[in-house]
Amino acid sequence: MAITDYFPMLSGLLPKQLRPPAPRYATPSGSPVAGLVAEFGDVSSVCRAGESVRDAGYTKWDLHSPFPIHGAEQVMGMKRTKLPLAVGVIGLSAAGLGWLMQWWMSINYPIVVQGKPPHAWQPFVPIIFESGVLISAFAALIGMLSLNGLPRPHHPLFNHEPFLDASNDRFFIYIEALDPKFDPQKTRDLLTKGGASRVDLVEDL
Amino acid sequence: MSSLTNEQFDRMLTAAAKHPAMREENLRLREGSGLALAGVFLSIGALGLVFTIAGAFVLNARHALAAFEVGLFTVTALSLGGLFWTMVLHLTNAGWSATVRRQLENLMMMLPWCLVGALIVLILEIANGGIMLSWLGIDPHTDHLLEHKSPYLNPGFLVIRFVIYAVVWMFLATSFWRWSKAQDQTGDRWLTAKARRLSAPGLILFALTTAFFAFDFLMGTDHRFFSTMWGVYYFASAALGGMAALMIITSVLRGMGYLTGLVTSEHAHDVGKLVFGFTVFWAYITFSQYFLIWYSNIPEESAWFVNRSQDGWQNLGAVLILGHFIVPFLVLLFRDVKRNPIGASIAAGWLILMIIADMVWILRPMVYLGDLKAQNPGPAGWWLDIAGIAAAVGLWGGLLIHRIRSGVLVPLKDPRLGEALKHQNWV
Repeated sequence: MAITDYFPMLSGLLPKQLRPPAPRYATPSGSPVAGLVAEFGDVSSVCRAGESVRDAGYTKWDLHSPFPIHGAEQVMGMKRTKLPLAVGVIGLSAAGLGWLMQWWMSINYPIVVQGKPPHAWQPFVPIIFESGVLISAFAALIGMLSLNGLPRPHHPLFNHEPFLDASNDRFFIYIEALDPKFDPQKTRDLLTKGGASRVDLVEDL
Repeated sequence: MSSLTNEQFDRMLTAAAKHPAMREENLRLREGSGLALAGVFLSIGALGLVFTIAGAFVLNARHALAAFEVGLFTVTALSLGGLFWTMVLHLTNAGWSATVRRQLENLMMMLPWCLVGALIVLILEIANGGIMLSWLGIDPHTDHLLEHKSPYLNPGFLVIRFVIYAVVWMFLATSFWRWSKAQDQTGDRWLTAKARRLSAPGLILFALTTAFFAFDFLMGTDHRFFSTMWGVYYFASAALGGMAALMIITSVLRGMGYLTGLVTSEHAHDVGKLVFGFTVFWAYITFSQYFLIWYSNIPEESAWFVNRSQDGWQNLGAVLILGHFIVPFLVLLFRDVKRNPIGASIAAGWLILMIIADMVWILRPMVYLGDLKAQNPGPAGWWLDIAGIAAAVGLWGGLLIHRIRSGVLVPLKDPRLGEALKHQNWV
């Protein structure tokens, strides 16, 4: 996920390696091709088509549905997220930092409360726990958003009128033109053969 | 469930009964299977009991009783966990749990034996004028605190309370067991609704009786000490121990080739999540109890912890922090551990061992205090500890295994069986 996805106006300023690759295909009118979107009428047909897209080896594609489909991860061949490991490491580090913070504070500004020793570990525990939980929650939320490439204010699919039904009663498979296996004709044939009720070209801005 | 017509419901039951996992050899132990294991447990228990009784005469009766109580209150916690989870899973209408519920009910039906053990303890205590419950042997007029507590702490009321616990637990356990067994025969779905209705008041009764049972038999070993967290403290061991025992029972049965397709790694995952959750719960409430007592520093409260932070008991405290919380927390965090029957069983077995250590932490320092130190047999008497724990755990385990092997392993006509058979976590 490149920064230019969010701020296209920056792409001119970036070094060449960081600029998004030039579109491989263009419509007759000259606008770049973002991808192909196929529409389906029900869960079982979109899942069957999804499996054929997965088996054909596509990597840059997505499945859209108005509601969560159990097993969609398997249909799309998605691996389990690494996020828990990151959250665990960050959470434990934050708990350790919470401890360090209190230890440092009790050295720099020792206060005797109720005759308790200034380095007693007992009052440290709730703050160690809370800092671990708080930072874990932040890490989970921010990590989930950034791994999903969110927030994303714009997407080429938004220009495609029929896609609005993805929040109503239609199911979609969208394959990006950036996918190495993408081919205007072969990809269209694959989706049509998969049982799509319609397949449309999506233009970029 | 109630929106289905009887015909639709019967079709559902027939479909579940036809499921390939519901074949007879998957549901019932083979003739003689598990008999040897039950025999091993019972002989260990019997041997332990003989040594405990011998130790009571040779070494010290207080030590013998304390050692036996450590085992007894551990297995009572596990059995209460069975009752608790049976009610919670009924109340929440937990579809996934239908195939594991019979094993929780088996745990729950060990409560009568635990009550027999507690009754023996109670008779010994009252007949001897207080062994572990030392307040039974103190004249309230000579002890100001006891005088104020005597409306509650008196032998008559203690017996009445014990009868109440026994009646409540027997009533709840036998009701759920009777309905569950009747449903195996008739397939009457209203028995499930009935069980759910009883679960709501049942949980309130369970909470009160468990808390007061823990006050009387565990907190009562030091009549000066009090903690409002005590009931939750014992309940944490019950909820954790019940799920940990369930994890071991189902994993062993799966390893023996039963329950294939009935209890899958999906069910193990859910059981593991609850074991993990209640490991954290135990740590949370145990620390809260300690923390408040440490901060307020009231002599009669903090004495309990002062006694346990000297004479080597502080090492047991460190073992509990590390072994009852930090290590199982880090191990059970991993999804693969919870889904692996061997890994999860090792973790669950370790946690049950830690519940025993927790009971040692509660009970054993009481017999090493003050003037009693003179009668302390020292490390030479540690065999008595092992014998006492082995007596209770061995007898309980043997009877439980016998119970499991003599019945069908899952509820046969539970309305939620279909849901449990195709249970998936999807994550």
